[in-house]
Amino acid sequence: MEKILQIKDLELSFNTFAGEVKAIRGVNFDLYKGETLAIVGESGSGKSVTSKSIMRLLPESSAEFKNGEILFGGRDLTKLSDKEMQKIRGKEISMIFQDPMTSLNPTMPIGRQITEPLLKHQKISKPEARKVAIDLLRLVGMPKPELRMKQYPHQFSGGQRQRIVIAISLACNPQILIADEPTTALDVTIQAQILELMKDLQRKIDTSIIFITHDLGVVANVADRVAVMYGGKIVEIGTVDEIFYNPQHPYTWGLLSSMPSLDTEDAKLYTIPGTPPDLLEPPKGDAFALRSEYAMKIDMEMDPPFFEISDTHKAATWLLHPDAPKVEPPLSVIERMKKFPGSRYYEGSKN
Amino acid sequence: MAEKLLEIKNLKQHFNVGKANEVKAVDGISFDIYKGETLGLVGESGCGKSTTGRSIIRLYDATDGEVLYEGENVHGKKSKKELKKFNRKMQMIFQDPYASLNQRMKVMDIIAEGIDIHGLAKDSKEREQMVFDLLKTVGLNKEHANRYPHEFSGGQRQRLGIARALAVDPDFIIADEPISALDVSIQAQVVNLLKELQEEKGLTYLFIAHDLSMVKYISDRIGVMYFGRMVELAPAEDLYNNPMHPYTQSLLSAIPLPDPNYERNRVRKSYDPASHNYTEGEDVRMREITPGHFVDCSEREFEALKAGIIKV
Repeated sequence: MEKILQIKDLELSFNTFAGEVKAIRGVNFDLYKGETLAIVGESGSGKSVTSKSIMRLLPESSAEFKNGEILFGGRDLTKLSDKEMQKIRGKEISMIFQDPMTSLNPTMPIGRQITEPLLKHQKISKPEARKVAIDLLRLVGMPKPELRMKQYPHQFSGGQRQRIVIAISLACNPQILIADEPTTALDVTIQAQILELMKDLQRKIDTSIIFITHDLGVVANVADRVAVMYGGKIVEIGTVDEIFYNPQHPYTWGLLSSMPSLDTEDAKLYTIPGTPPDLLEPPKGDAFALRSEYAMKIDMEMDPPFFEISDTHKAATWLLHPDAPKVEPPLSVIERMKKFPGSRYYEGSKN
Repeated sequence: MAEKLLEIKNLKQHFNVGKANEVKAVDGISFDIYKGETLGLVGESGCGKSTTGRSIIRLYDATDGEVLYEGENVHGKKSKKELKKFNRKMQMIFQDPYASLNQRMKVMDIIAEGIDIHGLAKDSKEREQMVFDLLKTVGLNKEHANRYPHEFSGGQRQRLGIARALAVDPDFIIADEPISALDVSIQAQVVNLLKELQEEKGLTYLFIAHDLSMVKYISDRIGVMYFGRMVELAPAEDLYNNPMHPYTQSLLSAIPLPDPNYERNRVRKSYDPASHNYTEGEDVRMREITPGHFVDCSEREFEALKAGIIKV
């Protein structure tokens, strides 16, 4: 498969009055053409910062690339000037934000907001742009698009506004679409519609999507691959089946078991003890060790490298080292592993 | 069945009454809440679930209908003394842990506000001790009492909100989306805390939320609301296994579950209110299909449901 975006050893810090906050501490991943990669993690894990650094939307006054590169179409995005970046933003890489209420301009009719990227990036006339905008609105399922073009954001519901935001982001047929919690502010029924719309559009125009969310249900629905972030690093990455049915990192175990599924019985919910690490002074070794019941001595001393479980699946935890003791994951995780051929708990073949 | 703590009878909450833009946020709903149970209330935004909670606790004056707390109406004219009595028994936890705590007050004073109003502490020493105990109950410690809300994380603030609600030793707590603004891992902590407190103190909860898997986990019974009406009310397990109203079915089919295989095979249903084909003046109300399982339906649909031929 074609790699469309490569992130290599990315490190980024924020300079604050309190000191240097190491928000991203060595992130590596590739994005393939036409796939959806979900990035999951708690607030403060660095998932939004990673996506904003790709778009270069972080304040230059405080955010600083320390190391690494973001390769897109043979260029390193971390080194581009503002002007060059403006040609990429909204044209080749575009973004959908969490809150459709605040990402539209309340004083501008939505028609003008959709034609804006078209007029900016493509050499077309206003009437032509208008036509494209109407087609886009139709594409995202807006009834009576000609009429709606003249209306303002407050005249639309939350779900409709998110559709408009999607229309704007797709206006120039971007190669990469970054969606930062696009459905968190929406109701489940509307969320289901928007997710279906995004999947449908992806099939039609073959964009790659980076989908940031903390809702694992949504991840299971949209993702081809999943990257789990913790403390400014990716701790596990794999296909959606590998992450959900054969997770290896204790943090992934914690995330998966703290969500009740619809058949969770009355037992207490699993909670991850403690709080996320302070990235002003990131802990030595495995950042999750302090909250993990599976932590070993080495976790406090050395950063775990990535161990490969399969060609597509790797996790950064010392538990995968050949000399590590075999530990039992939480019960609910074992239940999941039973469904995965290749995990040591697989029991599908018996049936 | 357990004793009724609260009876809601034909509660209506209309806004802008008599004007062109009249909104019937809650339009005649009736249900009971039993002692010691958790009743979950779910529905889309704008369906009236929060308004229902707020009307019950008298943050709004109900347009019509009654809310009976242990047989006494909460609404209607009340002396200050009577009101105080209700306020002690009913408390509320709000959705936004950032907006629901006064930024200018110390934690000590936020939590003790109810204690002061109701005169529950004899002297400042006792007041202090009560606050310390409450902080401990919700998993914080007494050093936190002298801090301001901005010094806490979202999950901790929600704990403060819970401590404040518990301060007057209530029997009934309305939790209006208490976990929606929190991270997944923190949500589990708060839900566990609410459950523990319920066991310890025998509290009754009205738990309002739109996250259906969490609601199912915490609730004994669940009511589903749609456009100001309750369309289905059933024991949690029953509602998920055998949803009868088409709206409930569509809502359940929309929840994404953390299970990729399930997601690949999921069929989403959509709900069209016109599909009922109600005739003019048809008597549509809550009817009991199986014991404890109520559905908003007409006589005709009721017969059909009873016979088990169609699902409304």
